[in-house]
Amino acid sequence: MLPKAKENWTKEEARHLLSRAGFGGSLDEIEKFHKKGREQAVDFLLNPEEPRDAFKLPEWASKERAMADMRGRIEQFRETQEMSKGLSAEQAEELRRKSRRQMQMENKRHALESQGWWFHRMLKTKAPLREKMTLFWHDHFATSVQKVRQPVLMLMQNELFRGHAFGNFRELTQQIVRDPAMVLYLDTQSSSKKQPNENFAREIMELFTLGEGNYTEADVKEAARAFTGYQLNRLNGEVIQSARAWDDGEKTIFGETGPFNGKNVVSLIFKKDECAKFMVSKLWEFFAYEKPVDAAMEDLAATFRKNDYELKPVLREIFLSREFYGEKSRGTQIKSPVQYLVQLLKELEMDSAPLGFPIMGQTQLGQVLFMPPNVAGWDWGKAWINTNTLLTRYNLAGKLTKELNEGSGPDFKKIASEPQRNETGRLVDELISRFFCVPIPAKARDSFIAYADTKKGVRFTDKELGELCHLMLSTPYYQLS
Amino acid sequence: MKTRRDFIRSAVLGASATWTLPGFIDRTFAELGEEASDRSTQFTTGKDGTILVVLQLAGGNDGLNTLVPFGNDAYHKARPRLAKKEKDVIRIGDGMGLNNSMPFLGSLFKEGQLGVVQGVGYPNPNRSHFVSTSIWETADPANRSNTGWLGRYFDNACEGIDPTVGMSFNKSTPESFGAMRNPGVSLSSPELYRWIHSGGNRAEADEFFSELNQPGNDDDEPVDGGSIEMPAGGKVGGLSGETNLDFLERVALDAQVSSKQILEIAAKHRTKVKYDGTPVARNLNLVSRMIAGGMPTRVYYVSHGGFDTHNGQVNSHDRLLSQLDSALKSFFSDLKEQGNDKRVMLMTFSEFGRRVSENASAGTDHGKASCLFVVGGGVKGGLYGKCPSLTDLSQGDLKHTVDFRSVYADILGGWLKAPHIGKILGGEFQPIGLI
Repeated sequence: MLPKAKENWTKEEARHLLSRAGFGGSLDEIEKFHKKGREQAVDFLLNPEEPRDAFKLPEWASKERAMADMRGRIEQFRETQEMSKGLSAEQAEELRRKSRRQMQMENKRHALESQGWWFHRMLKTKAPLREKMTLFWHDHFATSVQKVRQPVLMLMQNELFRGHAFGNFRELTQQIVRDPAMVLYLDTQSSSKKQPNENFAREIMELFTLGEGNYTEADVKEAARAFTGYQLNRLNGEVIQSARAWDDGEKTIFGETGPFNGKNVVSLIFKKDECAKFMVSKLWEFFAYEKPVDAAMEDLAATFRKNDYELKPVLREIFLSREFYGEKSRGTQIKSPVQYLVQLLKELEMDSAPLGFPIMGQTQLGQVLFMPPNVAGWDWGKAWINTNTLLTRYNLAGKLTKELNEGSGPDFKKIASEPQRNETGRLVDELISRFFCVPIPAKARDSFIAYADTKKGVRFTDKELGELCHLMLSTPYYQLS
Repeated sequence: MKTRRDFIRSAVLGASATWTLPGFIDRTFAELGEEASDRSTQFTTGKDGTILVVLQLAGGNDGLNTLVPFGNDAYHKARPRLAKKEKDVIRIGDGMGLNNSMPFLGSLFKEGQLGVVQGVGYPNPNRSHFVSTSIWETADPANRSNTGWLGRYFDNACEGIDPTVGMSFNKSTPESFGAMRNPGVSLSSPELYRWIHSGGNRAEADEFFSELNQPGNDDDEPVDGGSIEMPAGGKVGGLSGETNLDFLERVALDAQVSSKQILEIAAKHRTKVKYDGTPVARNLNLVSRMIAGGMPTRVYYVSHGGFDTHNGQVNSHDRLLSQLDSALKSFFSDLKEQGNDKRVMLMTFSEFGRRVSENASAGTDHGKASCLFVVGGGVKGGLYGKCPSLTDLSQGDLKHTVDFRSVYADILGGWLKAPHIGKILGGEFQPIGLI
């Protein structure tokens, strides 16, 4: 067990937990969260009241509709073929192209809707850790709509992650083997007995469960044979391992021999000690800080094994540990683009994002939901920041703080009341406690105040307040959580 | 000798730092701009004016359908659906030809301005995209290095710490730029590469912004000798013992300084040559404008993605090569127009080649050795390296005949005239005589 933090906690600690285990919050939200006390706050995160279906999925994402759409597409494909009979090769090609383009347009629209749906959910949810863990799994079992093509499959996978957000790691891994989006993403379904495709076998060991160095090339080759025969039924979105297409011969994996199938391989992997440590280290780096001490990870791994890969006990131990609230952890993490965007909206008291803002921000900052760059997921930490993305963050903050229209911009009345605006020193301090997770050097505070003084004039209107916020957000300090 | 960058930095960080500094920086850049526009050739940071462009073919380029051994029966046997026939290639050697989606590269080969290196790879190859990309970018087959081969070149062979010594037109900083002191700059569009203030008095706001975006302590000397911190996944730019805040402050200053410079040049230079709308063409166009504008940059980095052709690869792979060819054609005619064509060399690379045999999905799986191109007036054109055997394979893959670090050695020594090549590459590698 990691040494526990004492029950008494400061508002700064509450802010830290809400930023890391969720997406931060407005001053009010942090206040309420703090009042719960440490233990209860963690319970609230792990056992949310908000039902999983609290956010209605887009119409087209229901299973019935998706199946009907798929049948429609097959029908359309047949019709196109029928119609092209008697046409010249060129005309037929044109007809096919038109039909294809129509489908692509629809897919594109649905992909955008999915991205908007999830982003909005992150912003509005009352179960922040569930969404944070869903994001964690999306990065961990990275799958991109760019290859999968069908957004409905991505949303089905997203719901799978949400359902297992803090469930059982082994069970989720078993499910992901048969997840349609993953099957398409890693080409499992074109892996045949004759020519096994190693893609999935390699990634499941290297990236999903064990990490490099904890398996051999021979293990990958043999496991690839076990992962043959997976077939996706596009009509009902189900994946089965067909007995006929599966290589039923003997395989030797991690020194054990048998006629293993995919499910058996997952069980073999989870018998290896390295698996628990691999996952707890990744969780620790995601929530606390990079390069944790080895002994601490051994402790967490022991908890994980003892609880048969149930995630709740591990997450609970992390969020109640003294180390999680220590100096190495607080205000040291570079916000990921999605974190940055959601948190920014919350801190600016915005109920929703301006149209197109989330997707533009994600694209420019290098983290687009449902589109991780590859199966290893995103590069985190310092890798988010280069000269270009840093300037872009500053400019996105500028766009938001300039939005003065009722409803689409920040709620400046909530950010600072009229009396608060009268004294620039107090105003700046209020804003500092709203925006920053790190202590602000006196020199920077002086700069903020000096700038506020040049702005003040007769009255501190929303416009000037927005400009002051923009300057404060255009700093290295604001990038840290 | 102090470089301009050192000068700016020490002035910004020195005890004399005052509100007037941003104006000072402005003046420096105005002077710099004048100096550059007066010269017909480029203002350089190095001793000579050569420039390297590194072009990544991301995803694992199928070398066997790029440089095609059409005369080899084993090739046709292994790829009944994918193999290119003699009529599909531009012949460049005995039984060897370039995929005919690349007519421009074919003509360059005839003119002696294209070096094709075959059988490039490294010992104990890794078939993971990430690991193998990392190995190529860090030039370390053990995959332990936390710096990139270009970053080590910046650190060891380029004076000062001018952030624009390397420029990447990628969304993220390439691992090859990972450096102890100077990871170069990365941007996707010059027009957006600046701080855009919400409104009000812009000059005044800019001053406050400058003040806030410079390192907080005066002791900003890079740490020598230590190792570079490796963040989860990314291995870019962190110095030993540097906190995330220190790192952010350093990048903020780099952004501020380089932004002015790049904006000025991008606004001044437009090219007359027509480029395609593909990302690779657009980015090469940017490179050419930066060169025309006299940036002191020694190395540019651009990417062309989509080469992970696990299934249905015939059309997609040909299309990717054709996009590459067309972009290179525009780029080199552009440079010729500027009179800079003799000063630029371009090298392609990809993390690995692909399996010799096609798979069930009419695609190819991750493989090992592949080929690469070195293009430009300074290249001794021709076919380099030994063609790997198509029958004596390593787990179904080509065995490499040329270590990629020999190609790097050629480029670093012969083209960039870098000292300390052994240090940059972590060992001595025999150049293959491309230059």
